[in-house]
Amino acid sequence: MRPFSLQFLVDVFPILLPFLSATLAVVVGTIFFGSIAGGLLAWAKEGSYQLFQRLAQAYTYIIRCTPPIVLLFIVFYGLPKFCLEVLDTNINDYDKLFFVIISFTLLFAAPVSEVMRSAYEAIDHGQYEAAVSIGLSPWQAFFHIVLPQATVVALPNFGNSVISLMKDGSLAYTIGFIDLIGKGQLIVSMNYGAYAMETYLALALIYLMLTIGMEKLFLWIEQRFSRHKQAA
Amino acid sequence: MLKVKNIYKKYKQEEVLKGVDITVEKGDVVVVLGPSGSGKTTLLRCMNFLERADQGEMEFDTISIDMHKVSSKEIGKIRQKTAFVFQNYNLFQNKTALENVTTGLIVGRGIVKTKAVEIGMKALEKVGLADRASFYPSQLSGGQQQRVGIARAIAVEPDVILFDEPTSALDPELVGEVLAVIKQLAKEGKTMVIVTHEMKFAADVATNVVFMADGKIVEEGPPKEIFLRPKEERTKTFLRRILPQEEYNI
Repeated sequence: MRPFSLQFLVDVFPILLPFLSATLAVVVGTIFFGSIAGGLLAWAKEGSYQLFQRLAQAYTYIIRCTPPIVLLFIVFYGLPKFCLEVLDTNINDYDKLFFVIISFTLLFAAPVSEVMRSAYEAIDHGQYEAAVSIGLSPWQAFFHIVLPQATVVALPNFGNSVISLMKDGSLAYTIGFIDLIGKGQLIVSMNYGAYAMETYLALALIYLMLTIGMEKLFLWIEQRFSRHKQAA
Repeated sequence: MLKVKNIYKKYKQEEVLKGVDITVEKGDVVVVLGPSGSGKTTLLRCMNFLERADQGEMEFDTISIDMHKVSSKEIGKIRQKTAFVFQNYNLFQNKTALENVTTGLIVGRGIVKTKAVEIGMKALEKVGLADRASFYPSQLSGGQQQRVGIARAIAVEPDVILFDEPTSALDPELVGEVLAVIKQLAKEGKTMVIVTHEMKFAADVATNVVFMADGKIVEEGPPKEIFLRPKEERTKTFLRRILPQEEYNI
């Protein structure tokens, strides 16, 4: 058997790292769209419309039971077909990033809606009442009083969701999307399966760095936003 | 100035308010008394639309509205004229004492920040907390928090301030400082509706006492009449039960 090549492990980094941007594009895009979708779901769950409530709960439940890879395939193969037959639009040539972000947005929205919902519920309703009682409109009360505090509560769990999203995101290579993992796969196959150990180890190290970075980032944001929690 | 007529409110099967009328004139300090579960707090919350009455009419100066079918615009109008002091203070936890007071001015009424800070500091001075302006609620005692709550209410210069058991959540030793602030406001002629269990305080500040039981007003009148010469049997038993306990406290 060929011995482990430390040299290859070092050399593979500069080849992999340019694809970090693709991985981060998925994460950032999904955080953006997924948070909007998650917010809407949370709003539906907390709202007074029974129908919306049920739909949002059902959605969350179904997504929870769906493996990410299944969802990815359903979106990648199903969505173009759906668009072609129902909407008469051809989206087969769209960038793969488009399908990846849609898939992970659908996936991410479910847990994030729960994170947002519980954070919203953690803020005592009395503060909202106090805000409207001194003349703020319900929207102003929500944006100035409830939302800033709920955000702080949500941050640690939101951070966890982002980290698991980042790791789930590595599945995108299965539809041929070239991100870090996709590039790693290519390197391994170009070497006829050799240097797999070195390549994956390099990927593991990159993901380790990413995760540590994310954790630090969320910790920093959380500390910045929770000044008011420090008691005298 | 403020007249509420015939309020009904039901939670599920429980009828909490069964046709309550209340009238508040400018400069009045109306104290609402009654055993727990008599609907005092619900009445107050309905008056600020924190709770939606099932039926009732409200006249506020020239505005008159149906309290059940009220629009959010009308609610906004009433809330611009009133303020509420809560039992458990409900301060904005993410804002300093001063910001708690100025938010209603800046966000709610569009007053420029420098002017709002000026008004806010005056309000905090009035409750004796100017030196705590930059403190967060978690850094203040219960009594101080409630005084900030009162400052927040007076800063918006409401026509009426509604107090919902302002001292019930406080340690006994902190009750005094809050009552002193409210007494001062009464002296200045502020119009207030106060739900409380502090009988001595009620007798001191009230211009008008309303006694409620089982969702109805049993008796109302000047404090001397109610405390010394109550007419209704229900009022008498309530006072008999409450007043001897007061003596221990004093």
